[in-house]
Amino acid sequence: MKEDTNRARRRLLAGGAGALAAVGLGSLGRTALAQTPVVDLPIVNGRRNLVAYPEKRPLIVLTSRPVQLETPFDVFNQGLITPNDAFFVRYHNAGIPTQIDGDKHVIRIGGNAVGKPFELSLADLRTRFKPVEIVAVNQCSGNSRALFSPRVTGGQLTNGAMGNARWVGVPLKDVLARAEIRNSARQVTFNGLDTAVFGGGDFVKALDVSHALDGEVMLAYQMNGADIPMLNGYPVKLVVPGYYGTYWVKHLSEIEVIDHEFEGFWMKPAYRIPDNACACVEPGTAPAQTRPIGRFNVRSFITSLPNGARVRAGEQAVVRGIAFDGGQGVREVAYSTDGGQSWREAKLGEDLGRYSFREFSFAFTPERGSYELCVRAWNRSGQSQPMEALWQPAGYMRNVVERVAVTAA
Amino acid sequence: MKRLSRLAAAIAAVALVAGPGASIAKSITLPSDGVQMKASPLPGYAKAQANCVACHSAEYMLYQPPTAPRGYWDAMVKRMKTVFNAPINDADMPAIVDYLVKTYGNEQGK
Repeated sequence: MKEDTNRARRRLLAGGAGALAAVGLGSLGRTALAQTPVVDLPIVNGRRNLVAYPEKRPLIVLTSRPVQLETPFDVFNQGLITPNDAFFVRYHNAGIPTQIDGDKHVIRIGGNAVGKPFELSLADLRTRFKPVEIVAVNQCSGNSRALFSPRVTGGQLTNGAMGNARWVGVPLKDVLARAEIRNSARQVTFNGLDTAVFGGGDFVKALDVSHALDGEVMLAYQMNGADIPMLNGYPVKLVVPGYYGTYWVKHLSEIEVIDHEFEGFWMKPAYRIPDNACACVEPGTAPAQTRPIGRFNVRSFITSLPNGARVRAGEQAVVRGIAFDGGQGVREVAYSTDGGQSWREAKLGEDLGRYSFREFSFAFTPERGSYELCVRAWNRSGQSQPMEALWQPAGYMRNVVERVAVTAA
Repeated sequence: MKRLSRLAAAIAAVALVAGPGASIAKSITLPSDGVQMKASPLPGYAKAQANCVACHSAEYMLYQPPTAPRGYWDAMVKRMKTVFNAPINDADMPAIVDYLVKTYGNEQGK
């Protein structure tokens, strides 16, 4: 067992961005080891523990308290839907609820811009509204932050703070229709059961009222056909399709419709991006103006080959991956086997909806030698990924064209 | 109209999935912290132990890029007090910052 761990670690060290694909997490998790299994992420200071938290398989521990877990990248090659027990976790405060009785859970709906505040039980949410279902990616704003160059401070994540799930719940619009929203309404705020240890910095988020009422923002009570795992927000989670995970409030317990712009810490100054077209600045500089982070940009990843992989010369390899964007849907994925000199079109796979991961694949028959595989996606409004990484001080929204080095022998 | 049809494609109404489904009471036990703060002869070590880990585990410091400068650690310690109400004595802050930047930041080895 010890040997297996070391072998996996050596492969990881040799690998690079995608190298986590090599770890046999299942066997590591089931065996009682004296030492916690570790992975070495392809960054300076990248050694992390792998620990199985409640309802989770062993995941990469970014922080133990409050808990933040990253999904090992090989999971993304095992299917378009990310299993609940592999889905990433990100809390902001250590007052995490550890006991929740779903039957007694209540969401309070109020604020100074509703005529009729009310309390909504989870039972009522499940039975008195027409449920909807959507497959949607949730991605942390700081996914891939550790790969910024120059490095930025904050949670040092590689590419595993994202996941794709099938959510069932009720449109927020239908719930708020019962609250008699006034014309003065400007924003809707969302709070959950998690609390801050000394009270300051409670995690509360806000959406403009037009967005909150768009019919897509949803109060979800089911994730991939099961109750939502506790660490992902049981018993009800706000789902904001196409938007970064910061808005997907867990253990949702309070919704307020208000007549002004909410300026709590987690809306301002936290989770802000440069207020310009690229959401970027010159490395090392600060933006003059900022705005709250919003929709995902376009991303694509090769999932079937880790960086540094070896393939057989003269044999066809089918390379697979995933692409997604903020809700336009993926129109095209191009691939290059020569580091971006020339491009061809990859084949798109099953379409689970415009907020979902979209699979792509291409056949590749290499001769002996070294190759740099690149993938680049476009969405339906023509947005794509930059060839060189953009930079911003908070380390959000990385979406550079990914590169995977492969040797054929 | 175009928007409506896109919306319809993305959100499919679910007929029978939920029903009057009963939800369950969930209870979890979280593992203890996976790492501890690095021991140090610096005077800020004990003060950091007394203050920082009351609210969060030591990965928050340990995993920062080793390029993180003094200004970062100073801003974080101040944020813990002003935003999160951490009861840190102002007089202890310089020593805590000094321990953090010399243990986890760009003054390691200085």
